[in-house]
Amino acid sequence: MRLLVVEDDKDLNRQLVTALEQAGYAVDRAYDGEEGQFLGDTEPYDAVVLDVGLPRRDGVTVLEQWRAAGRKMPVLILTARDRWSDKVQGFDAGADDYVTKPFHMEEVLARIRALLRRAAGHATSDLVCGSVRLDTKAGRVVVDGAPVKLTSHEYRLLAYMMHHTGRVISRTELVEHLYDQDFDRDSNTIEVFVGRLRKKLGVDMIQTVRGLGYLLEPPAPGASG
Amino acid sequence: MFAGLRGAKSGGGTRSIARRLFVSAILWSVALLLVAGVIISDIYRRTTEQAFDQRLGVYLRAIVADVATPGDDQRLEPGQLGEPQFELTLSGWYWEVTRLDVEKPEFRASRSLFAMQLPRLSSLGVQAGLGGSRSGYAIGPEGRRIRIVEREIDIGDSGIYLVQVAATTEEVEAQIWRFYIALAVTFGVLAVALAGAAAMQVRFGLRPLRALQEEVSAIRQGERDKIEGRFSEDLAPLAGELNLLIDSNREILERARTQVGNLAHGLKTPLSVLLNDARTEATPLAEKVEEQARIMSDQVTWYLDRARAAARTNVIGAVTEVEPAVAALVRTFQKIYAGRGLAFTAQVEAGLKFRGERQDFEEMIGNLLDNAGKWASSRVEISAFPLAEAEAGRPTFETVIEDDGPGLPHDERARALARGLRLDETKPGSGLGLSIVSDLVALHGGEVKLEDSPLGGLRVRLRLPMM
Repeated sequence: MRLLVVEDDKDLNRQLVTALEQAGYAVDRAYDGEEGQFLGDTEPYDAVVLDVGLPRRDGVTVLEQWRAAGRKMPVLILTARDRWSDKVQGFDAGADDYVTKPFHMEEVLARIRALLRRAAGHATSDLVCGSVRLDTKAGRVVVDGAPVKLTSHEYRLLAYMMHHTGRVISRTELVEHLYDQDFDRDSNTIEVFVGRLRKKLGVDMIQTVRGLGYLLEPPAPGASG
Repeated sequence: MFAGLRGAKSGGGTRSIARRLFVSAILWSVALLLVAGVIISDIYRRTTEQAFDQRLGVYLRAIVADVATPGDDQRLEPGQLGEPQFELTLSGWYWEVTRLDVEKPEFRASRSLFAMQLPRLSSLGVQAGLGGSRSGYAIGPEGRRIRIVEREIDIGDSGIYLVQVAATTEEVEAQIWRFYIALAVTFGVLAVALAGAAAMQVRFGLRPLRALQEEVSAIRQGERDKIEGRFSEDLAPLAGELNLLIDSNREILERARTQVGNLAHGLKTPLSVLLNDARTEATPLAEKVEEQARIMSDQVTWYLDRARAAARTNVIGAVTEVEPAVAALVRTFQKIYAGRGLAFTAQVEAGLKFRGERQDFEEMIGNLLDNAGKWASSRVEISAFPLAEAEAGRPTFETVIEDDGPGLPHDERARALARGLRLDETKPGSGLGLSIVSDLVALHGGEVKLEDSPLGGLRVRLRLPMM
């Protein structure tokens, strides 16, 4: 899951990015409206945390222009303005949720989880595929009731695939959604991570679709691991 | 005709301009007419007296000529003056000749005087006029008022005579009074005509003022946002100033709001940073920072609300279309509560207009919908419609918001609506957000009621002024 944080306050930006990275997301950052809008236009983010009061171009304008250009990623707006008229304006510009400053970081994390889940069409914070259960809230993975320890890269890979089960995911898509823009993008590393993940889960549910990518599906009954 | 000229509500103390203009015009015309009347009647009286004196003077000269001619003393016979009035006893017309230079005055008089004597003007202190004759009023026989013309003549050896001719003034007085009455009637009619003219002038002259008043009232009612139309030379500057005043009022408010918003943004971001960093550490300092930052955050919220309320009070002529405002709020809440699958449905009468600002309306309805959304189990309904009976002459409409949640016990309802209690509700989300609604409703002179909803939860009825 790859996110974008657009916030002009350097400290708050750092705090948001740190917290989101700790929660297992790849995070890009922008400090003003123009930069934020450019990134949102060019990179395939799964969600955006957008401050309303930005220098150079305010958040509502950025959001309106994304929506006008057909960008549909969920957007969480951060606003110091807590009046309903401000919120209505934000939602009418295309926001999916809002958090009022000052806020608890947990609240932002919870709302982002909810937005990602909703965008993927899931109702609960637990993603289940066969015997694998991924708790997005706690960031834990359980296979047949036994917890499995994953590195953050492995967790991100599994979480993205579990958000999009039943559909072929290309390597490029994985690279785009798992790493922030500063990361050395070598699609071969994806194969390494997929291999490790298969080993750790011990369940054969990640299928390689030759020439296209990967497909996450619950293992057919009776199939051997 | 005058009652209609008064201002709509001039009050008891100060009089309307129309009244001032009208009263001053009337007073001035009446004063002028009175002075003119006095002058004209005085002139008429003098002229009439002079004519009468001349008539008496003719007889006086005839008698004087007769006396001055030496000869038979008995020559002067009453009939010679050619005036039968002198012959009739106490007719009111008399003449008398008195010799003054002898011990015992000798009298000769007209028959009409009937052995009575005329009073002497010389002894009444009347000064002699040109040619040595005197004229003036006196009380004559039978106590009637008479006009006397007299003259002393010295005929040398024949003696000094006082010649007097007198006549009753009744005839002249009657003539003068007839003139007075005619004058009074004429001037009375003239005064009424002038009053009518003044009233019409005032009405016509003040018409632009009334037009201006209508424009201003249209602005107050929000039908217009500035004074339009052409005004006369003297009113155009006033209309222009009013427009500038309205603009500056709006501008000041806008600026105050912007600054409040900027302040909020400026303080809340660093507070977020402090709170978040403090929470990542477990030192006593971090705990202190977190605690104090939280207090600061509450204080900022509290004072921002108050600043907004102060900036909000008097916006001239703000009007809000209810339907689009509610629709926007419903869209918002559908997104906010998308995760819980709540259904928000709105039923708003088309064309309904709230007399007030959109931000205020959204704040009230937003808080109520949010509250309903928090408690609802599956749906929230909002409807708005005009009320039939106008409260104190002002048309109002009602917005009803209800949910199918657990509702609110009776004894907690009054507390939920208590105003100015936000500082106590320091836990985020613990308050019902209703106290701020109460504040806003009170500001607009509305009313909010909490009831049981047929849906099972709480029903909030909000009465607000409409256009």
